[in-house]
Amino acid sequence: METARPGGLKRYYDVNEWLFVGPALALIALFMLYPIAYSLYLSAFSGKGMMVKFAGFGNIIRLTKDPVFITALTNTITFFVIQVPIMITLALILASLLNNPRLKFSGFFRTAIFLPCVSSLVAYSVLFKSMFALDGVVNSALETIGIISEPISWFTEPFWAKTLIIIALTWRWTGYNMIFYLAALQNIDRSIYEAARIDGVPAWARFVYITVPMLKPVILFTTVISTIGTIQLFDEVYNLSAEGKGGPADSTLTLSLYIYNLTFRYMPSFGYAATVSYVIVVLVALLSLLQFYVARERR
Amino acid sequence: MADVRLTDIRKRFGALEIIKGVDLSIKTGEFVVFVGPSGCGKSTLLRMIAGLEDITSGELTIGGAVMNDVDPSKRGIAMVFQSYALYPHMTVRENMGFALKFAGMERQEIDRRVNDAARILELGPLMDRKPKALSGGQRQRVAIGRAIVRNPDVFLFDEPLSNLDAELRVHMRVEIAKLHKALKSTVIYVTHDQVEAMTLADKIVVLRAGIVEQVGAPLDLYDDPANTFVAGFIGSPRMNFLKARVVAAEAGYVTVALANQPHVKLSLPLRSSTAKAGDEVSLGVRPEHFFPAGQGDADLVLDVDVAEHLGNTSYVYANVSADERIIVEHEEFRGARNRDRLTVGLSTAKSFLFDSSGMRIR
Repeated sequence: METARPGGLKRYYDVNEWLFVGPALALIALFMLYPIAYSLYLSAFSGKGMMVKFAGFGNIIRLTKDPVFITALTNTITFFVIQVPIMITLALILASLLNNPRLKFSGFFRTAIFLPCVSSLVAYSVLFKSMFALDGVVNSALETIGIISEPISWFTEPFWAKTLIIIALTWRWTGYNMIFYLAALQNIDRSIYEAARIDGVPAWARFVYITVPMLKPVILFTTVISTIGTIQLFDEVYNLSAEGKGGPADSTLTLSLYIYNLTFRYMPSFGYAATVSYVIVVLVALLSLLQFYVARERR
Repeated sequence: MADVRLTDIRKRFGALEIIKGVDLSIKTGEFVVFVGPSGCGKSTLLRMIAGLEDITSGELTIGGAVMNDVDPSKRGIAMVFQSYALYPHMTVRENMGFALKFAGMERQEIDRRVNDAARILELGPLMDRKPKALSGGQRQRVAIGRAIVRNPDVFLFDEPLSNLDAELRVHMRVEIAKLHKALKSTVIYVTHDQVEAMTLADKIVVLRAGIVEQVGAPLDLYDDPANTFVAGFIGSPRMNFLKARVVAAEAGYVTVALANQPHVKLSLPLRSSTAKAGDEVSLGVRPEHFFPAGQGDADLVLDVDVAEHLGNTSYVYANVSADERIIVEHEEFRGARNRDRLTVGLSTAKSFLFDSSGMRIR
C-alpha cells in the first residue's frame, strides 16, 4: 500500500497540489512579482516616453540633484515625523478613556471615532475643502471664539496647507488605530489597575507605566503600519491640494504624488519614477527595522 | 490601631441588592475569613472595604475613621488578588517597589522595604525575573510581597489560592498563616474553600446571598452551627440531613423518629422548646459522627451504594431509603462493599436538630 503522503521529491511534483495553488501563484507572479522586478529593471533606464536608454545608476545620481525630489522627500518625512506620533498618542488616550467601564454611551463614541476611516475619501475631501475654505465653518468658528483675528488660508499658505493634511490624516486614521488599542486593553486583567489604584499609583502613572508598556506590541504594530501608510501618502494630498498637484509651491508634494506626476502628469519618465518608488521601499524597510529595534524585548 | 467596623453595609446594583445589611466588627490583628458559596457577596463585601466598589448605604470605619468615600490608597489597606495582578512587564523587584515611588518615598527606604519583604517571602533569587518566568506559587508570593512593602494596617486577600494546584494551595496556606503570626496585622480573607477558612481563621464569617448567616471561631461553627446552611457548609464531607418527625415533646426534651426508618428513635434535649409532637424536623449528623452498629444510641440500616476506602478512613455513600442518601465516614467501615447492607450507630450527643425553617433547635 502506498503511503498517504509520499515524501521526498514526489511530494513536490504532485500535479494536483500545484493545480490548486497554480491560479493564485500565477496572479501573484503577474501582478506582484513581475511589476516589482520590472520596475527594478526600469529604474536603470532614463529618458521620456518611449525614448529610453540604459543609464545604470544615473537615476540615483539624478535624485540627489533633483530639488523637487528633495522637497517631496522632506515633506513626506515631515508628515511622518509630526503626524504619526500625534495620531498614536491621541489614539492611545482615546482608547484609554473609552475603556473606562463607567463611561456612558461608549459604544456611540467608539463608532463615531472609528467611522472616518471607513467613510469615502472623496466625500470627506469635498467636505474638508468646504469646511476649511477661507469663509468656511472652521475659520468662522475660530474667529467667533477669538483664537484668530483673520481667516487662515488653509489651501494657499504652505504651513497651513501642511497642517491641513496632518489634520485630515489624523481625523481619518486615529479611530482605526484606537480600535487596535481598545482590543488590546480589553485583554488586560482589570485587577492590575485595581491593584495599582489601591497602592496609590496616580491615574497618569497608571497610563504611562502600566497601559503603555503593556500595549507595546500593539503600539509597535500600529506605528509600523502608520509609518508605511504615511510614507506612501497620496490620497489626502491629491484630493486636498489645488488641482491635486501638491501645492501651494510643492509644499504638500509627497513621494507618491511625485511618482504620479512623473508618470502620468508630466511627459512620462518611467525609469526615474521607478527609482523614486524604490526610495519609498528603502525608507519603509529602514524605518520598520528601526522601530522593531527600538521596541525589542530587553533581557 | 486598625480595627474594622461595618455597620449596616448595603450594596445595590440598580434594583438588585447584593449585600443586605452587614454588621461586623473586626479587631486589630484578627484573621477574619469571609466564606460562602459563589455569588454570596463575599468578594463584593471585600471590594467595598477596599474601596473598589461604592458603598450604597451603611458605614465603614477602619481604625476609627469613616472610610466610605475615602480613596482606596488612603485607607491603609493592601490587597492580594486571585489573579495575582502583577505588572507583567516589570521584574519582581520593580513590581514590589513600583507603587512606593509615588508615595514620595526615598530610594533607600524603598530598597530596604523590598529587600525585607523578599527575605520574609524567600524571593531573593527571583528578584530580577519577570512574572511570566515564575510559577503560580511564586507569583502569589510576589503579590503578597507587594502588599507587605506598603506596611498596611489591613491586608485584604481575595481568593488568593484559588488558581494554585492542590499541593501548592496547602503549602501557601501554611505560609500565609506563618506570615500572619509574624506581621500581626489585621487580615480579611475571602474564600469559597471551607478548609482554608477552618485552618486560617481566628473568626469565620459565613455569608449567603448577601446576609451574614453566622460569625464565630472555626470550631464553634463546627460544633455549634446556627442553621442548616452553616451546618452544611462547614465540615467536609457536608453534614447529612435526615428527615424526621417529632413523636413526643416534654419539658426540654423531644423524641424524634426518622421519616424513612420510623423504628429509629432518638431523644434529644432542646435549646428552645417550641417543638411539639407531629412537627417535621431534620436530624443533622456529620459523616464522621456515625459509629459501628451497637455503639450509638440507635441503629440505622443502610444500603451501600459506593464505598471508598482510603486506608486511614472509609467513606460510604449509602441510601436510607430510595430517596434519601447520606455519607458516613468511619475507619471501621473498611468491610463495607458496594451493594452491601450496613448497620451504623447514631449518637444523641453528636446529633443536631433543625426545625422546618432550617433553624437549629438542638
